[in-house]
Amino acid sequence: MTTAVEAPKGTVQVSPEVKAIHRRMQRRQQLGRALTYLVGILISLWVLVPILFITSMALTTPAEVRAYPKGILPFIPLSTETLQFFLNSRGVLPGLRNSIVVAVITLILSTVIAAPAGYALSRFIFRGRDMFRLSILAVRAFPIVILSIPLAVVFLRAGIYDSVYSLALMHTALALPTTILVLASVFSSIPYELEEAAMVFGCSPAQAFRYVVFPLVLPGIAASAIFTFVLSWNEVFAATILTIQNRTLPAQVLVTLNQSSEPYQFAGGFFMMIPALIFIFYIRRYLFNMWGQVSK
Amino acid sequence: MTIASGINGRKRFNWTPYILILPSLVYLALFFAWPMVQGLILAIREEGALLTLRAEAEIASTVAGQLPRGMQVEIVDQQANPIPAGAEQQGNLLTEVWFRVRGETTDGQVVEGWTPERRVRVRESDASGKPTAGTIRSILASSADPLTPIHAEASEGSEVLGKLEARTTVEILDQGTLEVWYHIRGESGNQSIEGWVPARYIKPLGDDTHGRIETGDTSQFTTRYIERMVNDRFFWPALRTTLLLIVLIIPAQFVLAIIMALVIQADLKGSGLFLYVFSIALGLSDLAVGIVWYSIFTQSGYLNSILQGLGLIDSPITYLSADTRYWILIAIWLAEIWRATAIVMVIVVAGMQAISREVLEAAEVFGAGLWQRVRYIILPLLRPSLQVALILRTILAFQVFALVIVLSGGDIITVLANETYRQYYDLQNFNVAAAYASLILLLSMATSLFYLRAVRTQEEAAE
Repeated sequence: MTTAVEAPKGTVQVSPEVKAIHRRMQRRQQLGRALTYLVGILISLWVLVPILFITSMALTTPAEVRAYPKGILPFIPLSTETLQFFLNSRGVLPGLRNSIVVAVITLILSTVIAAPAGYALSRFIFRGRDMFRLSILAVRAFPIVILSIPLAVVFLRAGIYDSVYSLALMHTALALPTTILVLASVFSSIPYELEEAAMVFGCSPAQAFRYVVFPLVLPGIAASAIFTFVLSWNEVFAATILTIQNRTLPAQVLVTLNQSSEPYQFAGGFFMMIPALIFIFYIRRYLFNMWGQVSK
Repeated sequence: MTIASGINGRKRFNWTPYILILPSLVYLALFFAWPMVQGLILAIREEGALLTLRAEAEIASTVAGQLPRGMQVEIVDQQANPIPAGAEQQGNLLTEVWFRVRGETTDGQVVEGWTPERRVRVRESDASGKPTAGTIRSILASSADPLTPIHAEASEGSEVLGKLEARTTVEILDQGTLEVWYHIRGESGNQSIEGWVPARYIKPLGDDTHGRIETGDTSQFTTRYIERMVNDRFFWPALRTTLLLIVLIIPAQFVLAIIMALVIQADLKGSGLFLYVFSIALGLSDLAVGIVWYSIFTQSGYLNSILQGLGLIDSPITYLSADTRYWILIAIWLAEIWRATAIVMVIVVAGMQAISREVLEAAEVFGAGLWQRVRYIILPLLRPSLQVALILRTILAFQVFALVIVLSGGDIITVLANETYRQYYDLQNFNVAAAYASLILLLSMATSLFYLRAVRTQEEAAE
């Protein structure tokens, strides 16, 4: 049996049947690849076409936004009028500022609090480690709505309701579990031997961290911070519940939705998508660190 | 201990990891665990459900009985008392200012003592606005004593030193704030209960001889809020729609996510670009996505424009209206699949990367087609990832909120998270909102447990 299988391999002359099989397999592979491309392109269109629609609405004149039927060709006429109209509407610029303030505080707070915990998870074996890990996974699975209502009542009583800072506290609580897990996996990707080597050469553990580990994990930390920023920028439920005067951008758009015109809404929708479009591109390498983590 | 030293042998107990995780533990306890418990309590505990009546107008005196909030009571008497220490900061405290005055009675005697501010008309004040002199007001009610009593202490219970006639000029020496107490009478069961309560709990009605207990001072467990939630006319539609959407969305998402993952795992040239495009939606808020799909489904939107451009329709169709609920459902369905498939895809890809290439290649060598490879190798090996994705997706699906508001205007189609928002924001019913939030929590936990269970029993059955 074995010789029969090995025989064609050794021979220089390949029988026409084998050639035919080989050709068929190659054709099938090419067909498979073409099919995969086709499916990939179709799914990409499914993702991109709605984005193209809203982008072309936001980058044209308000008159064109109201027009019907709409031209399928985008960006005709290309204009920033709709976007300007949105940005000059009442509450939008303050909302934009609030959104940025909340997101920046959230990313700083959550990184500062989560980094030590992530380091501990990746570098130490300690009693309760699995428990800690598991409870963080569980925390991440809890719904935001259940947190917002009691926090609103607590903030009201404490007199810190309707403030960007208390909203940032809440967003930090939301972002913290993910940040801890991501940073743990980022630290895990740096071999401990590097730290050890630094210590052999006379670094203290703190110095080893500062001069060896820290520069290596910086891109990972930046990616997780960006993701936290996007999370806070997008969050709308808690933002609407916890603020009244100091609304963030999504909360402002949501609350004024009923009284606002379509150009305002479409420009708002587009504007809120911008950070995601830019940032996801930069952090796509880390996506599996972020979300793949949960399945491990 | 570090991993390395842990292998080398036991050292003394190392506190470092605990110190490192302490900040996150404290933060999560403070801003996660505690509000969570508070939320559940808010849903089932009525604050100030009962008001405690005292035998005397004093917080320390014996309890005469309790009456429920909202009850109509008779106000028999009222009296001002010194404010108990610590209560000064309390809101809606009904207070009375008392003045220490000196004046001459009709028989020429000088009395010095306390009287309520309402009995004195202030005539002069010093630079800082503090009253210094005034006259006694005349009393209009014919039945009342026309003379104003002056008390030894700033309390109506104290000894009367003398009485001043109306329009007597007095010197105001000092002032103090007192809390008003009412002596109330109400029915509880078949029993009449009466006693003293601080006035801040009572809202006087009309002629001041009757009032309503506005709030109590004692909490009580109650099912009121849950009943109100269940009896709300939006409750059952919201629950039904939420569950229906979950059942409709999740299978479609998993199929699409697995196809996306297969495309990315095929290692084609440009699969990095595919990965970027497929995961864009990870960073989009449900509000923005709602608006995107609104621009497609609105009457002058893209769907109608395209259909008309192709000559399939003559006039625009209305999709998002109360008469076409199914179109709203379809729009929400598409929008949710568009938005939230990315997260499933990323989890599935991460799971697929763990499947060894040899296994797949072996299957291919033995002639397994794509479908067979997916069905008999990839899916079984992906089970843990799929389970996690399923749990995460279901929990997120319970929270869909802004998208539904944008596409349905907020009340044609409604979901549980939407109702939580309505109860909190529009109706200001914090407790009912908390009941909705608790229901979402319970449903999320129940489905998670169900998935964990279902997968485990499958594995046991396989053994």
